[in-house]
Amino acid sequence: MKEQIFGQDVRRRLLFLIIIAFFLISLIQLFNMQVLQGSIYTAKANENSIKPIYETAPRGILYDRNKNVLVGNKPSFTLRITPDKYDTSLNRYLETMLGFEKGYINNLLKKNRHMSPYVPIRLAKNVDYKVIAWYEENSEKLTGVDYVIEMRRDYTFGVRGSHLFGYLREINKSLLDKMTGYSLGDEIGYVGIEKKYESVLRGEKGIQYLLVDSHQKTIGRYNSGKSDIVPVKGFDLMLTIDKYTQQVAESLFTDKRGALVAIEPTTGEILAMVSSPMYDLENFSSMDFSKVWKGLNEDEDKPLFNRATMSIYSPGSTFKMVSAIAGLEEGIITEKNRFYCNGGYYFGNRFFKCLHNHGSLDLITSIEKSCNSYYYQLALKIGLDNWSKYAAKFGFGRRTGIDIGEETDGLLPTKKYYENAFGKDRWPKGILLSLGIGQGELSVTPLQLAQYVALIANYGKSAKPHLVKGIYQKRGFQKIEPEYYDTGISKSTFDIVRNAMYLVVNGAGTATNIRLPDIKISGKTGTAQNPHGDDHSLFIGFAPYENPKIAVAVVVENAGYGSTVAAPIARDVIKAYLSNRIAKDNKIIKKEVMAGVNKIEN
Amino acid sequence: MKIDYELNDRFDILFFVSVFLLILFGLAAIYSSTANHPTASQNFEKQLVFSFISLLTFLVIYNLPEQVFKNMALSFYAVSLLMLVVVLIAGKTVYGAKSWLDFGPIGSQPSEFAKVGTILGISYWISYKERDINNIKDIAIAIGIGFFPALLILLEPDTGTSIIFIILTISIVYWSGISLFALFVVLSPIVVVFASLLGTVYFIISLIAVIIALFIFKRDLFNSIAIFMLNLGASFFFEYGFRLLKPHQQKRIETFINPYADPLGAGYNALQAKLAIGSGGIFGKGFMQGNQTQLRFIPEQWTDFIYCVIGEEFGFIGSTIVLLLFFIIFMRLLYFASVSKDKFGSLIIIGTLMLYFSHFAINIGMNLGITPVIGIPLPFLSYGGSSLLVNMVLAGIVMNIYKNRKLHT
Repeated sequence: MKEQIFGQDVRRRLLFLIIIAFFLISLIQLFNMQVLQGSIYTAKANENSIKPIYETAPRGILYDRNKNVLVGNKPSFTLRITPDKYDTSLNRYLETMLGFEKGYINNLLKKNRHMSPYVPIRLAKNVDYKVIAWYEENSEKLTGVDYVIEMRRDYTFGVRGSHLFGYLREINKSLLDKMTGYSLGDEIGYVGIEKKYESVLRGEKGIQYLLVDSHQKTIGRYNSGKSDIVPVKGFDLMLTIDKYTQQVAESLFTDKRGALVAIEPTTGEILAMVSSPMYDLENFSSMDFSKVWKGLNEDEDKPLFNRATMSIYSPGSTFKMVSAIAGLEEGIITEKNRFYCNGGYYFGNRFFKCLHNHGSLDLITSIEKSCNSYYYQLALKIGLDNWSKYAAKFGFGRRTGIDIGEETDGLLPTKKYYENAFGKDRWPKGILLSLGIGQGELSVTPLQLAQYVALIANYGKSAKPHLVKGIYQKRGFQKIEPEYYDTGISKSTFDIVRNAMYLVVNGAGTATNIRLPDIKISGKTGTAQNPHGDDHSLFIGFAPYENPKIAVAVVVENAGYGSTVAAPIARDVIKAYLSNRIAKDNKIIKKEVMAGVNKIEN
Repeated sequence: MKIDYELNDRFDILFFVSVFLLILFGLAAIYSSTANHPTASQNFEKQLVFSFISLLTFLVIYNLPEQVFKNMALSFYAVSLLMLVVVLIAGKTVYGAKSWLDFGPIGSQPSEFAKVGTILGISYWISYKERDINNIKDIAIAIGIGFFPALLILLEPDTGTSIIFIILTISIVYWSGISLFALFVVLSPIVVVFASLLGTVYFIISLIAVIIALFIFKRDLFNSIAIFMLNLGASFFFEYGFRLLKPHQQKRIETFINPYADPLGAGYNALQAKLAIGSGGIFGKGFMQGNQTQLRFIPEQWTDFIYCVIGEEFGFIGSTIVLLLFFIIFMRLLYFASVSKDKFGSLIIIGTLMLYFSHFAINIGMNLGITPVIGIPLPFLSYGGSSLLVNMVLAGIVMNIYKNRKLHT
């Protein structure tokens, strides 16, 4: 083999050059990093040996409009495991003690495998003091297990407020990526006020800087604790809720499905809001949360769903005032206009039914007696455009903008809606008759109904419904100004409609059963047909008649007539709020109303 | 004929001691980084066992008759390919690549053993009788022998190892005496394909460079156009093949081109690695005293980032010693290759040298933050049985060839 073909000179030298070049570059880089910049790298590396320990701040307290506590904080025990020191042979023992199923701890450790084994993992929250006593006795055996005291939500103030306050849960992976300042195991508001006001309520985490040795053993406080950050409690909120009214409202729904919203008409402040069935917020911090969560999710009644703001219902007869107002405002009818009812109304070849044979009747009587025939004919007169124009003025078909995230638009059909479905001028006019009595495609939320009755109560002027009055900030109480608005509908129109609603309760109307001697309630019943079962019972009302302080909308699912179920609930809530408001000494009133509540329940 | 040599003539002590010292450095670093680790504390003992097995294997191979390698070359290559195919079908996925074959309690990476197979295979083919390495057909087959396993490994996908195979193949072909023009024909499609991955502008620039080079070589028009078309075809073929890959495989290749696309993954490790090495200073923090290592800031440090342990705990002095040991090995191998009279043996030595060197360069470059992060182990130091065994098998073959060099005249 000839030398020059391979292994000689050029080829060997070229390889030699490549090797030596890389060798020299590496050596220079090594010298640069370790000798020239060694001290800079050392300083940076030492930063790694200062370990921050985060302390969760207590959340802001929720007060009612009179500064009664609705949701507070309480200390609770949290058991933790430090994987590095923990012996997995303890699994079974611990699981039995804490009532976990087999394999729970293994799963927990697996889930946190990518985390540092020196950082404790929460094993169980809100642990009973008996467990802690047991731990204290056996702590020597239980290496790698310890407990800390953490502040937790306290829901023992007599208000359930499930959907209102909302619950907290441990932050999940996808949220963790989106939010800054959170770490695994932190709790975050998932729904309701806790979610919407998360940034206000949460406060600022505290940090303790510990010095750790190369085995992460704590050897002291960094900078003798001078650099530590003390946790800052979240800001307290004052809600618009009236605690007592809320309590009464919740108690009235114990065995019913449905929703209630009570609003102060002049300000849009929500005095009470109930969605039933409710759930216990306390259970969310219980040790067997997963069972609770599964149960709530699988419940056919969907207790997690906020019916007050997300459930849509046909408003039924409670919607009749919209047609009346549209007719009056557009000058299509006057108070005097009469329509005839012979137990229904023929349109085309179809007979649209009314509950009674009302004969000839005027506008006021039509509301008082809730005559359907009147509204079939009125709807045909005013037309779909006018009807949807006035319904929109009262906020139907769009979100009210309440300050919790869970809300739906409902559906307010317009001409365009039907043209899209049927084609231009092809839609059957019979639809209009259904809409006239609040049936058909029209669907509304209880909150929208409450907003609507609040507007009627206050002559077309109100503010966006809201739940938070203000924030107790560092500088003091900061009121949140609501958004006021005006429907621009004339006072004379409201006078007629309000008068009719007064007669519903106090004349010869459909809800005379809820008449009170001292409080003048006005309202309108509704019985909404429902394809899935029995009719829904509805009532909207306000009181006192002259100077309304409260407007209420009540929907009770599958409960029948509006007057028999929904109206008494509205009455009791109105009574609870007004008597509590008027009387300085609420002890006596409380007794009285509670007695009344008991009576209804029995 | 019987030839008597002095010990150093039969057994290159400098080479062997360097290898041995590197293994000891590796064991120390593995011990330091895993002794207190909750899941990897067995690794030191395992590596100790691997080291003994590897040393024994080295001695056995060193004492084999030289013809064995020539006789076994092709069958070894064929078995390597078979295993690479099997692993693609029935392999276990480790670190995102389907690269692991399980034989009961013993697992192995076929791509490691394919390194030996490929080096033997190409060397054998080129040295068989009198092939003309500047004949287009012979070059193409030689390249094909090396690129076929590279392609199979790319499918796992293990981009890093597949690059090693490409470097290996080209190095052996280079050493075999290929002309500068033929080398250009071989290298230019690779450069063009790589450029096409970087973007259209780079692709066009690389094509222009090819045209300029063709002018300089002053070959006839037909050949020049053929070569240009070869370049163009290679990049389109690659583009087509790339689209056939699954999305996660495509992403791996893209991450290789631009590692900063994944700053929290690869970027994080690279940063922590620099921190560990830099903070080691001149003398290091001492064995088992490196806080970066002991606090496990770098995950799986005992594999691809083993050099950080050396850097942090043994400082500039220790790190330089390791570099020097590698340098000695490379220089000895280059010397062996130059003095070997047998073409087959010489090519194997160069293959081994470039295998070691490419691992070394990519790994050290990554640890020192001068090249992108590609997961390639550091020969003799990184934890891993297959890798150590294969490196020692090659060392045994090389020493065997060196021992018998004077049999050839």
